[in-house]
Amino acid sequence: MAGELEGSKALSGLLSGLAQEAFHGHQGITEELLRSQLYPEVSLEEFRPFLAKMRGILKSIASADMDFNQLEAFLTAQTKKQGGITSDQAAVISKFWKSHKTKIRESLMNQSRWDSGLRGLSWRVDGKSQSRHSPQIHTPVAIMELEIGKSGQVLSLQMKMKAQQQKDMNLNFCVWNLMKSRSINS
Amino acid sequence: MKMLVDFQWKLGMAVSSDSCRSLKYPYVAVLLKVADHSGQVKNKSFEMTIPQFQNFYRQFKEIAAVIETV
Repeated sequence: MAGELEGSKALSGLLSGLAQEAFHGHQGITEELLRSQLYPEVSLEEFRPFLAKMRGILKSIASADMDFNQLEAFLTAQTKKQGGITSDQAAVISKFWKSHKTKIRESLMNQSRWDSGLRGLSWRVDGKSQSRHSPQIHTPVAIMELEIGKSGQVLSLQMKMKAQQQKDMNLNFCVWNLMKSRSINS
Repeated sequence: MKMLVDFQWKLGMAVSSDSCRSLKYPYVAVLLKVADHSGQVKNKSFEMTIPQFQNFYRQFKEIAAVIETV
């Protein structure tokens, strides 16, 4: 029975399923689904602790955003533990993390973003204009359409901005750029 | 169409969260104050990743360049 839990291909599939459920928000990936699809010869009683162990390992790796040195050290320690993993399983987990790390990290970042994101931006500049009721020529104006919202909700916001506001914002951005190069790169 | 009244920004670094202990994720949070034709001001806020913000900034520079020429 234990031998059936050691298959590499099944473990790779299991890790994918666990990642879908834990990080990418995929509903409906139950332990019974994983067992019947990947380990049909294994009983649920035996499968359950194995699944919990793999889920725990994957979550630890993702939570610490392990680099490859940390990953090697962590997995080696897991192989030496009582009731830990085999070196074949460690190799599968290592390969999985290396190819899925970026996507998992992106999902974790999205989970931690609670405010709306900027989904789209388009703009136009209207030139000088005059109207029948207003003899004064209007100054150029930038009109922007921002799509702000989490997935499933979009808010279209059109704004008129005068030329001076544009210049003020440009200055703000220059300050930001300067701050960024000092803080992020240090 | 709403008028932009104020633009505020904040550069943040998300360090840790309940789902990920080691986040290390920089972001820019923007607060726009916009007024409708009646003068009522509303706040709209949103977040951007750094690459998104760089694109946002690039667009603004383009707008500024165009506005100068009009």
